[in-house]
Amino acid sequence: MTPLVFPRWTNKLRVLAGVLLGVAPLYVIVLVWYGASPKTTDVGYMPKQPVPYSHALHAGELGIDCRYCHTTVERAAFAALPPTEICMNCHKSVRTESRNLLLVRESAATGEAIRWVKVHDLPDYVYFNHSAHVTRGVGCVSCHGRIDQMPEVYQVKPLSMSWCLECHRAPERNLRPPSEVTNMTWKAPEDAVVYGRRLRQRYAINPPTDCSTCHR
Amino acid sequence: MTTLTDVNAFQGAPQGDNVFARITDNVSRIAEVPRPPRGWYIAFAISSSMLLMFLANVGYLVFTGVGVWGNMLPVAWGFGIINFVFWVGIGHAGTLISAILYLLRQTWRTSINRFAEAMTIFAVICAGLFPALHIGRPWLPYWMFPIPNQMEMWPQFRSPLEWDVFAVGTYATVSLMFWYMGMIPDLATFRDRARTRARRTVYGLLAVGWRGSSRQWHRYEKAYLLLAALATPLVLSVHSVVSFDFAAAQLPGWHTTIFPPYFVAGAVFGGFAMVQTLAVPARQFFGLKRLITIDHLELMNKILLTTGMMVGYSYGIEFFTSWYSGNEYEGFAFVNRALGPYAWGYWTMITCNVVSPQLFWFKKLRRNLWVTFAVGVLVNVGMWFERFVIIVSSLSRDFLPSSWGYFRPTAVDLMTLAGSFGLFFTLFLLFCRYLPMVAMAEVKVAVAAREAH
Amino acid sequence: MPPMTDDRTRPSFWRSLAELEGESEFREREKSEFSREFEEAGDGQPDRRRFLQVMGASLALGGATTACRWEKEEVLPLSSRPEGIVPGEPRFYSTSMELDGIGTGLRVTAVDGRPIKVEGNPLHPESLGAASIYQQASVLELYDPDRSTDIVRRQTGASGANWGDFDNWLRGAIGPFRSRRGHGMAVLAEPSSSPTATRLRRQLLSSMPEIRWVDWAPNNRDHEIAGAVRAFGAPMRQLCLYDEAAVVLALDVDPMNPARPGALAAARALTRGRQPDQTQTMNRIYSVESCFSMMGALADHRLALRSGDIAALAALLDARLSARIGARADLGPPQVEPELDLLRTERCSRFVDSLVTDLLNARGRAVVVTGPRQPPQVHSLVHRLNYLLGNVGRTVWYLAEPDGSAAGPGQVSALTGLVDAMRRGGVEFLCILGGNPVLDAPADLDFGAALQKVPNSLHLASYEDETSQKTTWHLPRAHFLEAWGDTTAWDGTVSLAQPLIEPLYGGRSIIELLSILIDGQAKGGRQLVRETHGQLPDPVFRKALHDGVMAGTAWPRLIPSLRPLGKLNLAEGAASSDTLELVLAVDSNVYDGRFANNGWLVELPDPMTKVTWENVVCIAPNTAARLGIADGGRVHLTANGHSVTVTAVHAPGQAERSVKLALGWGRTAAGRIGGATRLGVPAAGTNAYVLTSARQGLVIPEASLRATGERTLLATTQDLHAIDQYGREATNARLGMIVREATLGQWLSHPDFAKTAVHHAPLLQMWQPPVSYEGHRWGMSIDLGKCIGCNACMVACQAENNVPVVGKEQVARGREMHWLRVDRYYKGTPDQPEAAFQPVPCQQCENAPCEQVCPVGATSHSHEGLNDMAYNRCIGTRYCSNNCPYKVRRFNYFNFHLDLEKPENQVKKMVYNPDVTVRSRGVMEKCTFCVQRIERVKIQAKNVRRPIAEGEIVTACQQTCPTGAIVFGDLSSQQSQVSKLQALDRSYALLEELNTRPRVQYLARIRNPKPEST
Repeated sequence: MTPLVFPRWTNKLRVLAGVLLGVAPLYVIVLVWYGASPKTTDVGYMPKQPVPYSHALHAGELGIDCRYCHTTVERAAFAALPPTEICMNCHKSVRTESRNLLLVRESAATGEAIRWVKVHDLPDYVYFNHSAHVTRGVGCVSCHGRIDQMPEVYQVKPLSMSWCLECHRAPERNLRPPSEVTNMTWKAPEDAVVYGRRLRQRYAINPPTDCSTCHR
Repeated sequence: MTTLTDVNAFQGAPQGDNVFARITDNVSRIAEVPRPPRGWYIAFAISSSMLLMFLANVGYLVFTGVGVWGNMLPVAWGFGIINFVFWVGIGHAGTLISAILYLLRQTWRTSINRFAEAMTIFAVICAGLFPALHIGRPWLPYWMFPIPNQMEMWPQFRSPLEWDVFAVGTYATVSLMFWYMGMIPDLATFRDRARTRARRTVYGLLAVGWRGSSRQWHRYEKAYLLLAALATPLVLSVHSVVSFDFAAAQLPGWHTTIFPPYFVAGAVFGGFAMVQTLAVPARQFFGLKRLITIDHLELMNKILLTTGMMVGYSYGIEFFTSWYSGNEYEGFAFVNRALGPYAWGYWTMITCNVVSPQLFWFKKLRRNLWVTFAVGVLVNVGMWFERFVIIVSSLSRDFLPSSWGYFRPTAVDLMTLAGSFGLFFTLFLLFCRYLPMVAMAEVKVAVAAREAH
Repeated sequence: MPPMTDDRTRPSFWRSLAELEGESEFREREKSEFSREFEEAGDGQPDRRRFLQVMGASLALGGATTACRWEKEEVLPLSSRPEGIVPGEPRFYSTSMELDGIGTGLRVTAVDGRPIKVEGNPLHPESLGAASIYQQASVLELYDPDRSTDIVRRQTGASGANWGDFDNWLRGAIGPFRSRRGHGMAVLAEPSSSPTATRLRRQLLSSMPEIRWVDWAPNNRDHEIAGAVRAFGAPMRQLCLYDEAAVVLALDVDPMNPARPGALAAARALTRGRQPDQTQTMNRIYSVESCFSMMGALADHRLALRSGDIAALAALLDARLSARIGARADLGPPQVEPELDLLRTERCSRFVDSLVTDLLNARGRAVVVTGPRQPPQVHSLVHRLNYLLGNVGRTVWYLAEPDGSAAGPGQVSALTGLVDAMRRGGVEFLCILGGNPVLDAPADLDFGAALQKVPNSLHLASYEDETSQKTTWHLPRAHFLEAWGDTTAWDGTVSLAQPLIEPLYGGRSIIELLSILIDGQAKGGRQLVRETHGQLPDPVFRKALHDGVMAGTAWPRLIPSLRPLGKLNLAEGAASSDTLELVLAVDSNVYDGRFANNGWLVELPDPMTKVTWENVVCIAPNTAARLGIADGGRVHLTANGHSVTVTAVHAPGQAERSVKLALGWGRTAAGRIGGATRLGVPAAGTNAYVLTSARQGLVIPEASLRATGERTLLATTQDLHAIDQYGREATNARLGMIVREATLGQWLSHPDFAKTAVHHAPLLQMWQPPVSYEGHRWGMSIDLGKCIGCNACMVACQAENNVPVVGKEQVARGREMHWLRVDRYYKGTPDQPEAAFQPVPCQQCENAPCEQVCPVGATSHSHEGLNDMAYNRCIGTRYCSNNCPYKVRRFNYFNFHLDLEKPENQVKKMVYNPDVTVRSRGVMEKCTFCVQRIERVKIQAKNVRRPIAEGEIVTACQQTCPTGAIVFGDLSSQQSQVSKLQALDRSYALLEELNTRPRVQYLARIRNPKPEST
């Protein structure tokens, strides 16, 4: 039996093999880096809600302030979802017959909760505090995007650890006067960074990047 | 040294006076005979069932938690790390023999370097498993590798464990290349002798088109030399780095500058002991008496004696330093080793590592197979206990007496340890069966060199 | 919603989502607790079901949630949120808990309608802001899935009955007794001083005077009260003002033991006299006791004497003092000096001599006190001693016992009478309100057998326990956090108890049951309590509810006139010199057995022996040597003709020829932790009640001990392995450096002794300063002179930080999880040892050895100097623990929360603090200075741009420490208390020679033994 000796054409393979060996690790890294990052997996998440509530309508067209419904955002960790009674404040008189509001009216009558689906959902070992950000002048839009243009809410930012750190290390870009936090269209009067730096000075904002800042 | 020119050296070998043919035939035959000796089957049955036990225990560990081992607090490192250091140590002799002895032109190495290298690879495989298994969340060891990630978290390069990852990783890679490189010409021989299609293809691919042309030989020698040069410092670096796991900590009994050389000596010691333990039976089973001669074994016994005394010296000097330092924590750590609740472990270590090699002062015993084998085994035991003593007895009693404890291994601990031997021997037996056990080409070179005179 | 089992395979860190529950609808009930419909909570059933469903759902989500996007999570906002409720934010309510008739005011934290943490009420005289282990652990009992959920009717065996059925049955059953003015009916209740309960009881007895009402608790005050009656002719209780005492003599009592009334206040007062930094003076404590107690450890002079011999010592003392002070006609004749060898021993006489001189020098500024273990005659003699020394009216006062519980012949004899009646068939209907008499009544009464003779009996209890299984009705009792009520403190102060949550299992409180007994109508607890305090106008009532105390309800302090005492009968209770005395005592952790199913308490190490999960026989090393009993050996202990097999432990400081065994263990119907035959769970520990008898109290003069030859592995948190000689030598060599202490004199002459106790190389820094700290620098100071070793801080830490209970086997392996441990060291000779306690939390080193070795950077230094631990980053190499010289890190060798995934255990999750990650398997964890509390305050302060006030951030351990030994604060401010304390000359860092630069520093212990010269 003739021994298996590589034919001449296999010499060409050497180049190919070299290239593959060189590129493969790079490819894997890229795959992990992008493929597994929340940028890819999470952004754009738009679950179906039990009630077709439109922020575009309420926050956008009607211009209702965020805090009208999310009342606890300035004093608590959780920007609580509004109790049904807040909806009913208006909907007792507005569109009382709408079938879209069936669940809402039911909830108001029976006291049963509406089962909203969470959109911006952090891991349970992350302790995010809304008040800590809102009162420092980080606008809602910075993390939630143009809610006022969303008929259905979806996730705009990755909410990944690196994304959090980005801002904690250089908050200037996302700072605004605390009075303007809910303003979706606010623009810095001058260069955002310069202006932000001044605000940071004024309000002594030094976001920590310790583990315990978010993990406890 | 008995020359290989004696006629009719090997049972069943073709008659004739062509030494090279005999060597080739004798080594290749092992891999070519339809069925290996019964001994191989028995050994394989045992080792593979131990391997099975290993896998079962690992599965149990991964699904239940590292608590199935005896580890506790304060003794947070138990058998896992002991076995790791033990196996890494075993892994030393291979590269030492192949690389350093090669550079030193010790031709006698040729008969044993191949399976010493193989032994290295398999030992490092065993070693590599344990750190991954002993961590609390065995599915996350990749966090120790610097992979870019969305957390922007990197490994901490200040940690000796992190150094380990690289040290052992490098060592494994280089040893593997070294081993494989060395095998190529012999694989080609196998390929050429192949009688079945399967062997032809497999060995053919493994031999990556080796023709034995002078150009190839030229390149091969160069590459081999370079690899040897590259591997040599590793022999010293790996175990030095492993020893940093302890030396860089501040625990009494660990925090010692002597550790790197001490560990390297110990590793070589243990490694050679394992080579002996394997060589003695192997040459019996596979009729390699004329390739691995008594002289080879004797030479290695001399090394055992030397390194054994180095290790003994380290044990002694540790005590001296701890006393001389005047640091009472250090002082107690060593008193506790020799006289505390783990004294039995300490004295086992001394007997096996320091006392037993002393037999080799006598030529008679050096050349006695039984003694050689027995001492080899003893030293392996002793070297395991050395790690046990260092890790367990130091941890169990550190600074605050209130947190002192006593470590008791569980059945899973013991089965995992035994199982790791199963893994090691299974791989080794497969190697003996299917790969060139002795570096034929090199042996021939050695013979040729001698024949010339 | 994914099934719970999902995250078993995945390493998912979850905390019960505050948000979720915050908005889930049981929050409404929390609101409605105070509204009308909750009042007539007659039909708890449907509500409860619904409630648990919602709980289950929300928690399940909480449990299953991970970072994975594809997992759908729901948020359930209330349909209408009550005013002032902010989801996820804690709210605080005042309430109070009664333990055998003594109320302690508490402040309970509730998050989203779940009470999760019990702390002391600073306004309450019994608490002063501290809470004992019992009160703190009570919240775990609230969520114990083993608590009884159903009304059980024994005859029919039907367990589906509801309160409606029971009420109907009761109305029918009680009818005939009404006509017979209660004849043939009896009530056996656990002692209570609740004004409402007392009122209802009086009401009941006035309508049915023939009812035989008996109070019973094994930890009763019979001897004390009988002693007072002997001395004053009326039941009186002693009120000791320890903080004004220069010399304190405790005769066989530990006033700081949480099983004692007023323990927390006593601990604070006693230690207040032991901080010489300003005054340079200290009180001096003498303790004579059979069993080593926390008081003995705190004492400057301790004499180990058999409980039976202490009467003689008291007599000797009286004789000596009377002789020196001179006869006082009004106090009657003094005792004659007893002629006993044991008082002639060199040690004893030296003790007595210095004691006598000290007491004489401190006339009017001394306190002599004894405890329930001692016979009445010793109590009366102690009263006499206080009069003799002129302490009464200055450091010792008396309060008239409220009528009711205290009056009468004493609980034991009353109970004996009741049992006789039961046996004779004189009791047709027996109502057992709380308690567990079948377990804890004196064994020779054989209460269980007598109970079988009673045709109709009911037991209101939190658990379906030993007693419930023998009564015809078992009724689930509402936890005190679920019910309205009121309590009375030792000094008479009344506080209200309000529910923080609707009864999880639809239980009823004692007062609610009493109201039915009275007129067949189930009244709500709130109504009953309100009626009791009807005289109070609403605003006052509401204020009392808010504050947790009713101002000005303390009883007047009296100075009753002392009657002359006869000669002490020293034979009574005294064991002859060669017999072995057995001392039975309620357990330091499970009390009389009622806490035997409380994991936090069962796994809490005993203050002295550090044994967990069982009770052991404590025996003096010498006695053990004589009897040939090994440390950790199993022994047969025989007393009163009964025998138990139990493990013996060599306990230094135990009196010779005296052994101690704790009651309350060996339960057969406690639950999955304490033991339950029904569930096939073996009992934890050994039932010592079988040795008790009605004749003798808890001190049995004649017992016998026999080694079985077997040995067991004890689950101890210290000295896990028997320490050999070399270990002991090393320990003794190090003690002086670890627990630094000096006598007052030594300290005054060498104020810096603590700083110079260790000789070491100069501690150089690789970086200067190692870390730059702007802003806060958190630090802690622990005063070893004030630590009494009560373990309250450990339970506080466990509750605050979701620390798991790991089980006996794991503790025996050395895998307990307590973030904060209290080390106990013995000094001196084994037969006359001193003990010192040292709480060891994470030292938060600035040069942290742990941080440098973690390969993944899971533990790193924060800008405020904390060693942060990111659980979700940890992969569990455990290298940090190896390198930690203090060994304060704890590792999750398994998923210790796995059992929570069982549906029946869902409710246990409700106890978790939502601000702290619940750690899963395979990660390291440790004390973080309660970083969640720090962050909460920091954020709140910064939100309104105000600085953080001193003392605004309080760690859990500091908050609950009864003696204020632990102080946390900001080292960067010179005004902060902690920086002042760390600046003291007796402040030192543990193992400072390692140059770890800990943020925790200890204040060296100063003791005040009588100088030898005088």
